Amino acid sequence: MKHLGKYIVLSAVFLMTFIGKTEKAFAQDVDYKTYTLFLYNFMKYVEWPTTEGDFVIGVVGESPVKKELEQLAKNKKAKGRQIVVINVANPNDAAMCNMIYIPSSKSAELKPIYEKVKGKSVLIVAEREGLARKGASISFAIDDDDALKFDINKSTLDSQNLKIANMLMQLGILVG
Amino acid sequence: MAQSTVNRKDSIDYYDMSIEQLLSMKAHGVPSELEELINSLILAASKRPLTARESPGIVTLITQEEIRNSGARDLIDVLRLVPGIDFGMDVEGVVGIGTRGLWAHEGKMLVLLDGQEMNELLFGTNQFGNHFPVDQIKKIEVVRGPGSATYGGFAEYGVINIITRTAADIDGVSLAGTYGQMQTTTGRSNFNLSAGKVKKDFEFSLGAFLGSATRSDKNYTDYAGQTYNMAGNSDLNSTLLNLGMSYKGFSVRGIMDLYQTTVRDAYDSSKVTPYPMAFNSYFLELKYSGTLGKQKKLTIVPKLNFKSQSPWQTLPGQDTTSPPYFKDVQRYTGGIMASYNLTRKINFLAGAEAYLDRSQDNIDSSFFKDGKKEVGYSNQAYYFQGLAKTRFVNFVVGARYDMHSNYGSAFVPRLGLTKKIKKFHFKILYSNSFRSPSVENINLSSSIKPELTTVLEFEAGYQITRASILTANIFDISTKSPIVYYDSAGTDNYKNFGAGGSRGIEVEYRIRSKWGYVIANYSYYSVEHKDKIADYEIPGVSSMLLAFPNHKANLNALFKAGKYVGISPSLSFMGERYGYTQLDTAGNSMCEKFKPVVLANLFITVSGFAKGLTIGVGCYDILGSKYAFIQPYKPLYGNHAPLPGPSRELLVKITYDLKAVKKRREKSEE
Repeated sequence: MKHLGKYIVLSAVFLMTFIGKTEKAFAQDVDYKTYTLFLYNFMKYVEWPTTEGDFVIGVVGESPVKKELEQLAKNKKAKGRQIVVINVANPNDAAMCNMIYIPSSKSAELKPIYEKVKGKSVLIVAEREGLARKGASISFAIDDDDALKFDINKSTLDSQNLKIANMLMQLGILVG
Repeated sequence: MAQSTVNRKDSIDYYDMSIEQLLSMKAHGVPSELEELINSLILAASKRPLTARESPGIVTLITQEEIRNSGARDLIDVLRLVPGIDFGMDVEGVVGIGTRGLWAHEGKMLVLLDGQEMNELLFGTNQFGNHFPVDQIKKIEVVRGPGSATYGGFAEYGVINIITRTAADIDGVSLAGTYGQMQTTTGRSNFNLSAGKVKKDFEFSLGAFLGSATRSDKNYTDYAGQTYNMAGNSDLNSTLLNLGMSYKGFSVRGIMDLYQTTVRDAYDSSKVTPYPMAFNSYFLELKYSGTLGKQKKLTIVPKLNFKSQSPWQTLPGQDTTSPPYFKDVQRYTGGIMASYNLTRKINFLAGAEAYLDRSQDNIDSSFFKDGKKEVGYSNQAYYFQGLAKTRFVNFVVGARYDMHSNYGSAFVPRLGLTKKIKKFHFKILYSNSFRSPSVENINLSSSIKPELTTVLEFEAGYQITRASILTANIFDISTKSPIVYYDSAGTDNYKNFGAGGSRGIEVEYRIRSKWGYVIANYSYYSVEHKDKIADYEIPGVSSMLLAFPNHKANLNALFKAGKYVGISPSLSFMGERYGYTQLDTAGNSMCEKFKPVVLANLFITVSGFAKGLTIGVGCYDILGSKYAFIQPYKPLYGNHAPLPGPSRELLVKITYDLKAVKKRREKSEE
């Protein structure tokens, strides 16, 4: 093992040199347009008790998904309803939304938001995998082959008086 | 409609796609050509598909495209471009594999062909040179580290997992013919037919290869100083049939591998007349793979395997100066594996398998030990693997326990930590592995035990741009009580003796884009401060072992020239090597230094200009190097002078894909 340490240091230096020189290099980032496509399908295949007024989507904190949703709102409607995208700065804003999107970086907000909208027809969609088991109605997951998938908590949806179409249900995995 | 198509359309079309199309959407958008490669799923390192960057092994993935573009003649050409992999000379014209400076020929490197263990069971070897047809291959996963915790006793130093094209990949008929002309004789004439059809739940595929080649047309000078030309004295003839069928979860795989060589080099002294040697193998597998439960979390895979082999076969009368060798060996294996996905990110996998080995000596005058004409052994094995993917790191924990009726038990645990964090990924791997003694090891030494190896590996990789990635790894291998061949009064023998190992570094850079690709790698090993086996040592050189260079570098590239033409240069550099060459005037073995050598090749393909036709022309070893396969060990008996490799070889390869004809016709009819 005498020279092993030397190899490790050399490898690290070699790699760090590249990392430093390519800080601005482009790598494959999350494609939030794809996430927005899924959210749009959630709007189409989930049934809310009310069908009047604007369809309000709240994005918790800052996320690139907001820009994509705003682009969507310019071109599409949610079952005939105008789509409005707002920023959810604190959990109290959540109750005015039809759908809440919680980015990965704001996963800690799930619990207070869930408490605020408990029993209300607010579809909570979480970016981080596993949150459908912890109060979100739907949470995203990424398979090993990078395919974007989602988990559904049917119990939560029922408690929110939201009905999900079978077609959408078949695409997701039931976790509750 | 694939994501790549949809994304090019305007936003209104994009959001109007059907709900079913969501299934094909990727979280990170349309991958670049490189990302498709490095994110492709690897099975060999864990029996559960994981991306190359997160798979718990140091893995090289070789694609069908790379093999075709390079014009590779056989598996030697393909594997030589992998970091750390090299080839050496055994005896009787057989070329075997080495890795990371260590001779892995006898039972230390597992070769899987569509899941079938190709290693012959008498000695554990694989024979390279116009063997294992490259035209049938879809991809090769080379695990450059141990795989015993998953695969058992032939995967001590690595796994070469060859996956041929499926029925869906072929979807029709594909024909390939290769002709090679060495400097003074025909290098090879190979023909391959692949056929495949999918009809609802039924799939059928067939690969049929018929090949005839020459190892070399150079002069070989044996240990005693006698010389002959290898043309006509080093034939490598291969017939391989690979049949696969599946219906829903059931599958059947049958392989017939008939490999026949012409031998004149023999052991110390070459023969006056050549003789044939056969390595015949037959494989049959029946397998079922089914999921249970509403959420399909549990997958059960029971399977039965039968393998019958007759390697190193020389029949009475074929070699008039040495005794014939004709032993059959059969292995009957039954196994079951269960894989349970607790969540999307947590998987448990467990399995059990048992096999029976039977071997018969078919020569009237020869016997196994104790005068037996037949011997039999049994083995049972149990393995387990747990995989958890978390936000911080992926954990892989596994172990395998084998209990053999003759040599007892072997227990090999493994632990792996891997993670991809945006552009960066790392792997920290600790593995125990073992080599199980083969039938002849047991026959020749009643006290033989499995040899045990511990390997530490660390890999770091960085995706520099969407088209390029740099990966580097270091490794440390320590083998205890290796099974070593030795001569006892002119008789073959084996014993567990001493210790061995190596350590080193492997670096690879890949860039891949619309213009083509470049794969460049460098590997270095050293045995300085490692225990060494005397038979593998070089007198006066402490950092290197016989046959394998400390430094090795490879380049494999494709440059697309216009719509139809691909230009593919490839190159292997091997630093200085050492090998025993012959006896001096006093009768002592001479160990000589071999100068660094460069094998440079160029292959040009023209495709797409006419109905499924691809024409390739090229030249292997353009520089006319003096490359020779060196024997990596120095026995008292069975010394072998370095065997010359092929001379400069001009190649023509024609591939005709009947599927392409059909598709083109359909397109024109539209």
